Amino acid sequence: MSSEGGSMDRETRRSLDDFRRDDATPIENNLIDELVEGQLDRAEFFRRGAMFGLSVGVMSSALAVVGEAGATPLGSFAPATETVKVGGTARVGVAKWGGSLEPFKLAEAGSLGMSGIPGEYLTYSDNNNQIRPWLAVSWKPNKAASVWTFRLRRGVRFHNGREMTADDVVANYKLYTGNKQSQALSIFEGILGPEGVIKKGKYTVEFRLKQPTGAFPYLVSQTSYQCIIYPRSIKPDQWVKGGMIGTGPFKLRNFTEKRQYNLVRHDQYWGGKPPLDGVRVTAYETSTAMALALRAGQLDIVSAVSRLEAQPFFSNKKFRILNLPTAAHRQFTMRADDPAFKDPRIRRAVALTINRPDVISGLLRGAATLGNDTPFWNRYPSSSGVAQRQRNVATARQLLAAAGAQNLSFTITTHRLQEIPDYAAAIQRYARDAGIDVKIELMSDAEYYGSSGNDYYATTPWINKPSTITEWGHRAVPNVYLTAAYASNGIWNAPHYKNAQLDAAIKSYLSAVDLTTQRKYSKQITTILQRDVPIVTAYHFTSVTPVAAKVRNFQLESINHLRLAKTWLA
Amino acid sequence: MLRYIVKRIGLAIVTLFLLSLIVFALSQMLPANVARAVLGQFATQEAIDSLNHEIGADRPAVVQYLDYMRGFVQGDLGVSLASQTPVWSILEPALINSLKLAALAFVIVVPISIVGGIVAGLRSGTLGDRTITIFGLSMSAIPEFVTGIILILVFVIWLGWLPVTAQWDEGAGPLTQVKHLLLPSLCLALVLFGYIARITRAGVIEAVDADYTRTAYLKGLPTHTVIRRHVLRNALLPTIAVVATQISYLVGGLLIVEGLFNYQGIGLQVFLSAQQNDFTVLTSAVLVLGLVVLFVTLVADILYGLLNPRIRFGTAE
Repeated sequence: MSSEGGSMDRETRRSLDDFRRDDATPIENNLIDELVEGQLDRAEFFRRGAMFGLSVGVMSSALAVVGEAGATPLGSFAPATETVKVGGTARVGVAKWGGSLEPFKLAEAGSLGMSGIPGEYLTYSDNNNQIRPWLAVSWKPNKAASVWTFRLRRGVRFHNGREMTADDVVANYKLYTGNKQSQALSIFEGILGPEGVIKKGKYTVEFRLKQPTGAFPYLVSQTSYQCIIYPRSIKPDQWVKGGMIGTGPFKLRNFTEKRQYNLVRHDQYWGGKPPLDGVRVTAYETSTAMALALRAGQLDIVSAVSRLEAQPFFSNKKFRILNLPTAAHRQFTMRADDPAFKDPRIRRAVALTINRPDVISGLLRGAATLGNDTPFWNRYPSSSGVAQRQRNVATARQLLAAAGAQNLSFTITTHRLQEIPDYAAAIQRYARDAGIDVKIELMSDAEYYGSSGNDYYATTPWINKPSTITEWGHRAVPNVYLTAAYASNGIWNAPHYKNAQLDAAIKSYLSAVDLTTQRKYSKQITTILQRDVPIVTAYHFTSVTPVAAKVRNFQLESINHLRLAKTWLA
Repeated sequence: MLRYIVKRIGLAIVTLFLLSLIVFALSQMLPANVARAVLGQFATQEAIDSLNHEIGADRPAVVQYLDYMRGFVQGDLGVSLASQTPVWSILEPALINSLKLAALAFVIVVPISIVGGIVAGLRSGTLGDRTITIFGLSMSAIPEFVTGIILILVFVIWLGWLPVTAQWDEGAGPLTQVKHLLLPSLCLALVLFGYIARITRAGVIEAVDADYTRTAYLKGLPTHTVIRRHVLRNALLPTIAVVATQISYLVGGLLIVEGLFNYQGIGLQVFLSAQQNDFTVLTSAVLVLGLVVLFVTLVADILYGLLNPRIRFGTAE
């Protein structure tokens, strides 16, 4: 809606004022205030407006009133710029998984990519971190953001022809929040239990949270990749055997377990007929084999290859290179309760020796953005804009001297995954400039994530060694990073760092609903973490993936999902 | 000979039992936990304990082993702890795949290597001999991973003659399957050629220099008869033994090649089950491979005896 004359402006303003007076919740009014005061730009207003369930009409009116002409929201799919060609089968390569395809057990890139083709979610977090309607069309929080009411899309058909209703969503979410083996428990721990998932109508579901959570719509998006919606009649561990029934644009026709999966178009797909006739997914043991298959023209799309493997495709006209900045990162931890790292000045000194731009350009060939030793990736809207940490060897030496640790020596324990060993070697090299002696202990995956006793969390190396480097995947919001890795009682708190002030700030951040408050607490959190440095986050990955040039309307997803509903082959 | 075969079968049973004990003992030392392998490193301890209990992996190791062996002797290999699918449904296709690849590699490498070794041995010291020897040594020294990538670059990406993976569509005919298996087979053939050819060459040289060969020439026999009747029969004896040992590698040791060509063979399956500490699949796979090795060795021994009349099975000379 655009302003095209005085009467239109007055009318728009009047209707917006009516809405604010009669219908808007305090959260919605606060959001509009933030826009009016200039704290939000248009894109951010749409992002947060969508998160809190503001209608497109209201958002457009608000933008029109503040003078943002031509304000239109993004659609669910990218608009077509060519004539879409219907037909053909996309050949997709994914990394082979060792675990399960059952939604509640999903834990690997390949398996979540595969399950996410027939399966879908309540909401969708796009690559601009904007939350969009998907199987839910709208949602509204109460004043405290502790109760969220979701309205489901009507007429959505599962692959077996049945309609999706609130009963299905309730059954699924009770499983995801209640089953002991559910991998979604790490997301909903302390936030939502099975008793809080309530059917309010045939197409309405209410989530009663254990604590206020302003970002709840993100937690039911595809970034919580376990939370696929499927028929309630399918029992746990029977989804694959039952044919992977979901609501997605493609349904399973047949498969050879962990080898090849053939899917065909779901003609009753709620989002409109997919252009592709089908999708063939092949699981690859190694990314090298997958990259070779793409190069040989035997695949059209691959879920992920390393930056090095993508290199040969850069100057090849038969392929396009897709880039996507993500929040995925490596956590370089130093145990705050270890004698070598007890003094925070020591940890800060180590962080100051790292040459972050050098790591990004040399190790990652530019495919990363700077990290600032905080879980707040600089693309999160709630990130507070704290000054970027720079390398400073002189200050590092001073801190070490002040802490009496001029002869600091420690061992980084990590595992052989992608660039991690080289990153450890780079840290070793940088630290040497400040007189720090770093040794490296490399383990296999099984050793690094294994355990030597009955109590896994007390013995597994990745959480217990004095210093580790561990990979963390992308999240649309930093909530899981905060609660699991940084909070004192975090289940994956590898640095064993305990700080009551940090815990309080995290709790306040999680329950904040307005951006100003979120930014206030994110700044507090970042300031504490930059001072104490239990974890060094030097960079956040940019996914770099080649696809065949004939693939159209396909974009990378930040967590290895494959969104193929509107993809077609030229 | 019958008595010899029966005796060997009896020994095989004992060997397999000992093998199962060794695999079981070694698997207890693996750091992986099957529930952790299925649910991932971020799973809670409660989730791990729950899954371990569900699949019976929290029972004492000895109980698990006895339970498994009880089923094994009745022909039931049990279910995979990781995927809860019958072990045989996992191993059967993997074994068939490995046997197909091994058979094609065998058919390619054995005749070519033996002919190469014979030619080199008969022309010892010539350019032909040196060429064959150096080529064979070079190929043996290059890891199969490197050979495989070079073959893919040449035959798939540059020439476009062959498919990049050894994975054919369901229902593909024999010729299509051979086409898909050609590159990995070639890869293996190049690695094994040098070893088999050199053993054959050494055997031929030794046989050519032997007294019985000189006697045969002195008796007036033509060269081709001397070579066929006297030289080859003796020269190939060590080659048979070497080929038999390589078959066990061809069937169960192709982890790298299977990974590179994305081929679901038993080598990869053993590796995966070891990674996950999926005890039932791991033990069954090793026992199946053990059976293959024992069978091949028995066939090689029989062949050896047929070629060498001086060997009598189980009797003194």
